[in-house]
Amino acid sequence: MSTKQLSRRNFLKLAAASSTGAVVGYLGPLSNIASAQDTVELTFGRHWEAAFRPRQAEYDEGFMERHPDIKISITYNTWADHNNVVPAWAAAGTLPDVIYVHGSRATPWAHEGIIIDIHDIVVADEEFNVDGMWEESVRLYRVNGRIHALPYDHGPIILGYNKDMFDAAGMDYPSEDWTMEDMAAAAIELTDADMGVWGWDGRLDLGNGGGGFFTGAWGGVHMNEDETAMTMDTPEVRAALNHWYNLTHVEGAGASGTEMEAFPNSQPFRAGVAAMGHIATWSTPSMRALANFEWDVAPTPMGPDGSRYTGAFGSGYGITPTSDKPDTAWTYLREYLSLDGMIFMWSLSGRGSPARPEGLEVWLNSDPAPPSGRYFLEAMFDYAVTGPPFQSLAAAQVSNILTREADLLRLGETTVDDAIAAITEEGNAALDSVADM
Amino acid sequence: MFRRIMRPISPSARREERIFYLFILPWLIGLILFNAGPVFGMLGLSFTDWRISLDDLQFIGLDNYSKLFADPIFWTSVGNTLYIVVGRVVFGVSFALLLAILLNQKVPGIAFFRAVYYLPTVTAGVAVALVWIWIFNPRLGILNHTLKQIGITGPPWIHSSTWVKPSLILMSMFSVGPIMIILLAGLQGVPKELYESAEIDGAGNWAKFRNVTLPMLSPVLFFVIIISVVSSFQNFTEIRVMTEGGPGESSNVMIWYLWKHAFIFLNLGVAAAVAWIMFVILMALTGLQFRLGRRWVYYEGEAR
Repeated sequence: MSTKQLSRRNFLKLAAASSTGAVVGYLGPLSNIASAQDTVELTFGRHWEAAFRPRQAEYDEGFMERHPDIKISITYNTWADHNNVVPAWAAAGTLPDVIYVHGSRATPWAHEGIIIDIHDIVVADEEFNVDGMWEESVRLYRVNGRIHALPYDHGPIILGYNKDMFDAAGMDYPSEDWTMEDMAAAAIELTDADMGVWGWDGRLDLGNGGGGFFTGAWGGVHMNEDETAMTMDTPEVRAALNHWYNLTHVEGAGASGTEMEAFPNSQPFRAGVAAMGHIATWSTPSMRALANFEWDVAPTPMGPDGSRYTGAFGSGYGITPTSDKPDTAWTYLREYLSLDGMIFMWSLSGRGSPARPEGLEVWLNSDPAPPSGRYFLEAMFDYAVTGPPFQSLAAAQVSNILTREADLLRLGETTVDDAIAAITEEGNAALDSVADM
Repeated sequence: MFRRIMRPISPSARREERIFYLFILPWLIGLILFNAGPVFGMLGLSFTDWRISLDDLQFIGLDNYSKLFADPIFWTSVGNTLYIVVGRVVFGVSFALLLAILLNQKVPGIAFFRAVYYLPTVTAGVAVALVWIWIFNPRLGILNHTLKQIGITGPPWIHSSTWVKPSLILMSMFSVGPIMIILLAGLQGVPKELYESAEIDGAGNWAKFRNVTLPMLSPVLFFVIIISVVSSFQNFTEIRVMTEGGPGESSNVMIWYLWKHAFIFLNLGVAAAVAWIMFVILMALTGLQFRLGRRWVYYEGEAR
């Protein structure tokens, strides 16, 4: 594995250089020249959409006021392209100092030397409270037990529902003691094929965030703990997927893959034609902006044995090996990812999913947070688990297989048994291919 | 001995030769640096375990090729590619020829129609793909809406493993502007005397098309078939924007398979091997076309 750390020697050198700079700063007329020369440019590779960039600019302006010796320069990629652009930057040796790292990319990017090991610098910084982050969120960035990036957001997938549709049908809202059977029964009752309305949005994710929404409730697990083998060929996973399949394709209470395409971002729930759907904290701003109905959230329904489970996932930032100023990069990240930084960027802005519980508490009072938003917090504390695959070097291949089979299931082009067989066979082959890397 | 075989070159011919090479030198340098160089560099990298860094490359011989040949999805991508290439070339060139013949008629306002049919070509590929996503939308798309008006329930188009490849071929037929223009130019170059002679011999429209137009147009057709085959192999935008190789692997073509290995799976050595296999297939197909072309391409003034 290729990694680069900020050595103590380099840290002392830079600290000495900074002290010298501070002394020179007092030398009257020379001070202006010295500060101009000592300004360090910190480059970033981010992916925010245009609407969120002013918030970022506001934060960065404040940071540069606090640190006049640091100038921030950002390259924005689109969300869809960022993960493809970064390897190209890496191959060309043109990586910026700090990059956005989706949780699924931390392990392969650490392995390829795209992000450096920052474990020592993080744990040595007593003012930076890494223990105040959700452990499930930091877990994404631990590679061989060492921290290679840090999360800014992390959130669970729980149940969202359209209050107007429940009210119109005279039905009670989803409650804390709902089971998957209760959800299915309500979905069937709320479906009106003639009106083009479904009780459930039909969504099925098998990887990362939404991966365990159904299967976890039945006690199914997609991969073993160290992500060396697929574990989906079990009665639990089969029962869970059959439950989803019957609800969607037999009862017609969920939109099929083809039907979903009629709606922006393939989201019939947000479009107001499905009474229930998956919802994550990061999707609440778009719900707030686009949903023209009253909505709220409820805990993920329980499985047949009363257990509750959901997937959680998130994103973070890492420092690259081509950066010749990792200390400056850390100066930025330690503030940006502190509780105050997260509250400014993700809580008060309503963006959601800050990777610290206190940050999520503050977010609950923001505009986009639904009335029962505390269920997100409870999910994180009680039952959300970071969804695999993210630890294996074959995570991208396995995700690709899971997504493909989920798509085919949604379209009704494969059966549950065939999907499980394909995932097991191809997934294990992909995992075996990286076993000795 | 070599000197005896070679014909002597006059000083003026030598000077002309030097000037020729001087003029093509910028292009030649570009070809070597930016085309041939990367192509052969890629061949070398296809024998390595290249992932991101070029620093610690290990020579692994033919391992990347062995992995590819053992991967059923690679063969699916080869099959999908050939399906789409054949469809695009057969239907695309036929449609372009039909359009060129129609736009070669002397009717008022023909320049307007020529511009309209060329318009999709000057529109950004991503924009065209986004429009087609909506055209193909099973519930809201204009295609199924139109079919519904005549009592036909339209298929799911790009959201079905069965229909996705025909959909992509259908879509490609609306981007035949460049080859239509080339064929139109070819049609306008057919000597009118030949048609007049054919008419004197009593030939009808079909006989004129078959015995005059097609033979005279055959060098142009040969050219557009070759460039259509090459561009069909390189068709990436539509797959990236519209289908991402799905549903399942039903539109996973070689260029998409290559891209995923390079930028998603970070297996750049494998991607380099795919690129070389594509290169070899394209060279073989082009060679085959030249060989077959001898049977049907007619060059005016050529001795047979």
